[in-house]
Amino acid sequence: MKRGITWRQISTEAKLLLIGIPVFIWTMLPIYHLFLFAISPKESALGGQLWPTEPTLQNFRIVFKEQHHYLDHFWLQMWNSLIIAVAVGVLTLIVATGAAFAISRLKVRGGRLVMNLALFTYFIPAAFLAVPMYKTMGVYGILNNQWSLILAMVTIASPYSIWVLKQASDKLPYELDEAARMDGASPLQLFRLVYIPLMMPSLVAVGTYALLLAWNEYLYAFLLLSNDTKITLGVALGNFLAADDSPWELLMTTGLLYALPPAAIYYTFKRYMVGGLTAGAVKS
Amino acid sequence: MATVSFQNIEKSFGTTKVLHGISFDIKDGEFVVLVGPSGCGKSTLLRMLAGLEEITAGTIAIDSKVVNDVESKDRDIAMVFQSYALYPHMTVADNMAFSLKLRKADPKMMQERVAHASKILNLDPYLKRFPRELSGGQRQRVAMGRAIVRDPKVFLFDEPLSNLDAKLRVAMRAEIKALHQRLKTTTVYVTHDQVEAMTMADRIVVMHDGRIEQIGEPLALYDHPANLFVAQFIGSPAMNVVSGVIKRSNGSAIVDMGDGVQWPLHGSPGTEGQSVAYGVRPGDLALTSATAPGAVQGEIVVVEPTGAETELLIQAGKAQLILVTHGRPDVNPGDRVGLAVTPGKVHVFDQGSGNRVAA
Repeated sequence: MKRGITWRQISTEAKLLLIGIPVFIWTMLPIYHLFLFAISPKESALGGQLWPTEPTLQNFRIVFKEQHHYLDHFWLQMWNSLIIAVAVGVLTLIVATGAAFAISRLKVRGGRLVMNLALFTYFIPAAFLAVPMYKTMGVYGILNNQWSLILAMVTIASPYSIWVLKQASDKLPYELDEAARMDGASPLQLFRLVYIPLMMPSLVAVGTYALLLAWNEYLYAFLLLSNDTKITLGVALGNFLAADDSPWELLMTTGLLYALPPAAIYYTFKRYMVGGLTAGAVKS
Repeated sequence: MATVSFQNIEKSFGTTKVLHGISFDIKDGEFVVLVGPSGCGKSTLLRMLAGLEEITAGTIAIDSKVVNDVESKDRDIAMVFQSYALYPHMTVADNMAFSLKLRKADPKMMQERVAHASKILNLDPYLKRFPRELSGGQRQRVAMGRAIVRDPKVFLFDEPLSNLDAKLRVAMRAEIKALHQRLKTTTVYVTHDQVEAMTMADRIVVMHDGRIEQIGEPLALYDHPANLFVAQFIGSPAMNVVSGVIKRSNGSAIVDMGDGVQWPLHGSPGTEGQSVAYGVRPGDLALTSATAPGAVQGEIVVVEPTGAETELLIQAGKAQLILVTHGRPDVNPGDRVGLAVTPGKVHVFDQGSGNRVAA
């Protein structure tokens, strides 16, 4: 009997490992490559070794000190990426939270229509909208202005965010709203004092989603921004490939640095994304 | 402290009418229980009083002031929800103080009120805790505390005990009752549990299908149910009801079941040949010998001793009856017994209308 259980445990473990190890290698291999390039000197960067013979931090020094013509605006572009991503995260949250609260909690008329329209936008790939969006921003006269990218990304991120927040709002017990109303809360007080604190995990998740979506965006950033001092780091990375003799080790170093903030953001907010805050509100 | 008055209250959800003209008054300081099976409209009525549901027709007045168009928060009422509806991100103290904070009350007064309420409810050790760290009964008390600190004109309870286990329910029942006796605040309490209604209420309003079946003091409803619905709803175990026809002969009357069983009628309610429902409470039936004159013949089917009482299921003609006795009768399933009815404890209802037939 005991042997049977042990055998089953071993087999479960083995199956998990069988799936886990290839997935781990599959995921880590490109990142390892990125890292390998970043610590290799220019000459041996394409040598195909598993570990460089003379690992170096020279590449990082070059990137940090902007000592290459592709990297003239490295820090500014990093800042651009950051400010745009944060703005998109914040604006998307404001739009989506307001919509979700109004539709899910205040039950405003036309809420269903808004939700259906939000879903409908997902039938149209974002790439199809790139050119119309470009024209629209042209009409507004904000091409090559970072607001154009921010507004475009908020437009793209909002429908999904509204959906996620609406679903999360629906799970909050409605009695809480009624209790707050009887306690004398106005809709705005309800929003501020009850709804927002309880929605915090979802808000962090959605904000992070929008922020990372904007951080990782290439197509729209490439189309809407053109000036070297306006573009995001993602677009700048693409520009490395404009010439035949691309400095691969610098491209990879910059890429590695570009990948760090999302990783940091993810690990910072990971604990907020775990639910359970509503435990104890009602007996279910 | 306040009076509450319902005048011809109607409520429709779309085309479905759930309340058909409810009218009654609640006196100052009274504890009124709305009781009825689920779907009878009792919770809807309470929520209309709370201002959480629109009033389709009729008027609700608190202290003679019509509140139909007054917002919940301005009605000066507090409600305890079935699910407690505590704010999960606030401590017990903050939960209780929330309404006062919204009213921008003086912090010192706020603290006093919370301290007062937590003392009444024995919540002192838990003030710093969050709802998720409390047991069901403690959460229930916090919900009550939240109502108490407001010192409202009317307390509303919406099935507050139905999420608790049986033992705790009995304890909380007593606590709520004691609380009312102490605070003397007008209270409207909704439940589907007739035992809760009987034990707690000053007056009970029995509702069924959006209508009031009867209003009265608990024992009055028990002793003189106005109709068959109230008769069967109030009391546990439920009243035995059998159907038959009234027959009179030389001054005495009986109800003939048509299966050889004849039940005695004391007094002379109803008319000859009237089809009636004949009701006897399980406690108003007594065992006699099968040969006693006038006794109804029956056969024991099941014997259920509970210690203090014994519940017997008895087959009499086509009907099965429940008899509750305080003794421990020496009977076994299959025994032939005689049944006697305590005089004056018979309830007769017209078969068609269900209304009580006057004696």
